[in-house]
Amino acid sequence: MTTSSELNMPEIAMAEKEAGKWGMVIDQDICTGCQACVAACAMENNIAFVGEEDSGYGRAMHWIRIERFWEGEYPEVKMTNQQPMMCQQCGSAPCEPVCPAFATVHSMAESLNLQVYNRCVGTRYCANNCPYQVRAFNWRDYKRPEPLPNQLNPDVTVRRVGVMEKCTFCIQRIFKAQDQAKAEGREVMDGEFTTACAQACPASAIVFGRVDDPQSLVSQLKERSGGKTHLKELGTLPNVTYFNGG
Amino acid sequence: MSEQFSRRDFLKLAGLGAATTAVLTGCGPASRYVTREPYQEMPEYNYVGQSTYYATTCRECAAGCGLVVRTYQGRAIKTEGNASHPLNLGKTCARGQATLHGLYNPDRVQGPSNGDWDAAIQLVADALKNNKPDEIAFLMGMAPDHLFDLVTDMANATGMNAPVRYGALGMFEARATLSKAAEALFGQAGLPFFDVGGAQVVLSFGANFLETWLSPVSYTRGFAGLREAKTKMRGKLIQFEARMSATGGKADEWIPLRPGTEALVALAIGRLAAEIRGGSMPRAFSSVDPLDVAARSGIKLEALEHIAEMVAHSSGVLAIPGGAALGQSNGQAVAEAVLALNAFADNLGKPGGVYLSALAPSQSDYSRPASAREMQEFVEKMASGAFKVLFVHGVNPVFELPASLGFKDALGSVEQVISFATFPDETAAEADFVFPDHHGLESWGYQRVVTGTSLPVLSGAQPVVSPYYNTRATADVLIAAAQIAGGAFAEALPYTDEVEFLQTKVSALMNEADGSFSALDAATFMAYFQQHGGWWKNTDSRLAPASSILNSNIDAAEAEFAGEGEFFLVPFVSPTLAEAGANKPWLQELPDPTTTVMWNTWVEINPETAHELGIESDDVVRVISEVGEVEAAVYLYPAIRPDTIAIPFGQGHTAYGRYAENRGANPANLLSVHFNASGDLAFAGMKVKVEKTGVKRPLSRLEGLGVYGGEGIELH
Repeated sequence: MTTSSELNMPEIAMAEKEAGKWGMVIDQDICTGCQACVAACAMENNIAFVGEEDSGYGRAMHWIRIERFWEGEYPEVKMTNQQPMMCQQCGSAPCEPVCPAFATVHSMAESLNLQVYNRCVGTRYCANNCPYQVRAFNWRDYKRPEPLPNQLNPDVTVRRVGVMEKCTFCIQRIFKAQDQAKAEGREVMDGEFTTACAQACPASAIVFGRVDDPQSLVSQLKERSGGKTHLKELGTLPNVTYFNGG
Repeated sequence: MSEQFSRRDFLKLAGLGAATTAVLTGCGPASRYVTREPYQEMPEYNYVGQSTYYATTCRECAAGCGLVVRTYQGRAIKTEGNASHPLNLGKTCARGQATLHGLYNPDRVQGPSNGDWDAAIQLVADALKNNKPDEIAFLMGMAPDHLFDLVTDMANATGMNAPVRYGALGMFEARATLSKAAEALFGQAGLPFFDVGGAQVVLSFGANFLETWLSPVSYTRGFAGLREAKTKMRGKLIQFEARMSATGGKADEWIPLRPGTEALVALAIGRLAAEIRGGSMPRAFSSVDPLDVAARSGIKLEALEHIAEMVAHSSGVLAIPGGAALGQSNGQAVAEAVLALNAFADNLGKPGGVYLSALAPSQSDYSRPASAREMQEFVEKMASGAFKVLFVHGVNPVFELPASLGFKDALGSVEQVISFATFPDETAAEADFVFPDHHGLESWGYQRVVTGTSLPVLSGAQPVVSPYYNTRATADVLIAAAQIAGGAFAEALPYTDEVEFLQTKVSALMNEADGSFSALDAATFMAYFQQHGGWWKNTDSRLAPASSILNSNIDAAEAEFAGEGEFFLVPFVSPTLAEAGANKPWLQELPDPTTTVMWNTWVEINPETAHELGIESDDVVRVISEVGEVEAAVYLYPAIRPDTIAIPFGQGHTAYGRYAENRGANPANLLSVHFNASGDLAFAGMKVKVEKTGVKRPLSRLEGLGVYGGEGIELH
């Protein structure tokens, strides 16, 4: 594999040295593909359901999806380890420079890729440029018949037609924990809060936390051998590390 | 305390003074627990910008996982697992997450079908009073347990028929067979507990323990323990089944055996392993011939020998019999053969082995849901007119029972059918009256945890929000009706309401030692019970069974199959929808873990077989059994035997709200009435025909195969 420094791309090589802030480690060996994370994400983040036809056209709004691939043919057929795929919160994100409205911007403070819904004009350039295919576009104003809106999370904006959306690493939970810690005059503790997907995961296959803190659980898990980030050769510097067991 | 006095502190103190004037109103059940408080001290659920969290118990299946529900200004926003609950340790499954889509479902039953609760209670009272006790029957679901206890108390005191419990999950898990096998082997009925987390090699005979089986959240945690290599080697999962389940998809080795040969394969592995280990051959394994088994099961002899090698040499071997293996004519033999493997591995009552699950607190005997044969007897009684009035709660038998059992027709022979359904399901549609119960998140109650943890657990439920519609707790309806009916009924239920009944039952635990908390008075105990989401003991109470199974003969006949078709039928419970999830839109939009299909039913066929039959992906086929037929689109499934087809159970509703109705097909319509020796339905013992219909109907799926014009995510 060619690294970015070998490709003589100094700006990316520089970025590569910068650690992100928040990150995830996903153990595919114990992920069972049960979809608890997908449901938890939808409930936490007010994600609309689109119905049978639109989901058939690939318009389902999953911010996280479980990929599975087939290897071999019957009877030697094997289902590969399930791969939860969500926004990788790239350190050098391909979605960001293509947005004409600065709706897809980088948060320097949190090292996250933000999506500012009220700036988004729906060009979908970001989704086209995302190598991980994790952005979801509101093709319609998807209806939630009464009284379903009672369930909506007041901490998360409800998106309307023409707006792009994606996984935010549950930024509302990040801010809530930081506000709470600040009010109590302390730092946010590791494990004090987590994302909806990691919280639900019955196998604890998803672990979330500070990757810039070497003491955090996620940093320690990340240091094990065998971890990989997806499409590393593109120089996107993802903050999600996958382990495939074996 | 500092000299300075903040505005906030002032308000707090002022509130305290005012609170002493709080009045406890006493105007009947609904307002009995409402405390009037002054304006300065808003109820905790009404602080602007602040959420409150309530512990309760998930009602999406009967496992009894603890939940903590985030509420905000009286609305339930998010469910999370209760981190201190011994069964799920803060985790949930997808159905637990989506339970809010049940609570705020647009198609709930919004009030009693006769419009007036007083009249409804009078009607129930008349039904109790004007019929002989043995003409009154209750059919209940596998949850909640407190209502079952209440009706049981009522039945014991009045001579009314004891309540019968049923659930499709129990049928697909073949719980009667599992319990009967435990009884035969260990001298005690109960549910075996398989310690997957502590094992090193797990042989699963079709057990879908990562999907819906018994207690999926707990078993998934066990699976993670099996795979993790912290203190031991990474463990292996070997799955034997004709169609790769989501659990089988995680297996290190997936062995597609011929349906019906599970018992033979288990015994052959035992025999080969015993030969490798040397010494005398256990009698249980002595009758099988591995070469013959290899031919019959379609597994190569080398593969059997390779697995036997692992069984003989590894420590921590664990064998699990799943529902599909037990739900066959020889299910009893399968259970015995698989448990004999465990006895051979010498894991009974040891870490990584088989235990008998701990009984819940205050439970003296294990009670299992009715088997299909017991349901058949129930239906026969209904049809004969023996029941004048039937109450149904927490189960949807018209959908969940095989149509061939004739439940729907038999309903016509019961004079009065009263449903307590929360949703307008198929059974409620056939009932004379629907008196809706609250949703689980609006309800009081408790649930016994029957398996999945080493501790005896009574999981507590409390309302996290006030009822959204004009519904009423079924326990309250029954208590009020019993008072009106008088006599033995009133004596059996001498309570003001459901909460008093609960307090009576729960506070009986106060005197038990070794609990997760204790209290000196009943009110405090009950408050802790609500706050903690239940009460449990602190010591491992699983039983370590002893067994002489290795020295007994096991009749390892192959299973018999009903029907004329050329395909084995594998009906399996949808891992995301299970039996009652189809009315929740976000569960519908979850891709199936193996096929990634959303919002519909599919038929899984091996691609080679389909090619021979001229069937393509998304072609609608008609599947015909000896008792019925269903139509659904084909999914070319690469991990299924060429002689087998599979259909998920969970869709095919004719009622049950807009998201479920007229969507997909119900494979229960294909099941004919054959039982195994324990009375469980031989649902995995059907042969079916497949016919083309000439219609094509694309399935909505996450993976992109070009069916919807090639859009979507490519080539997963």
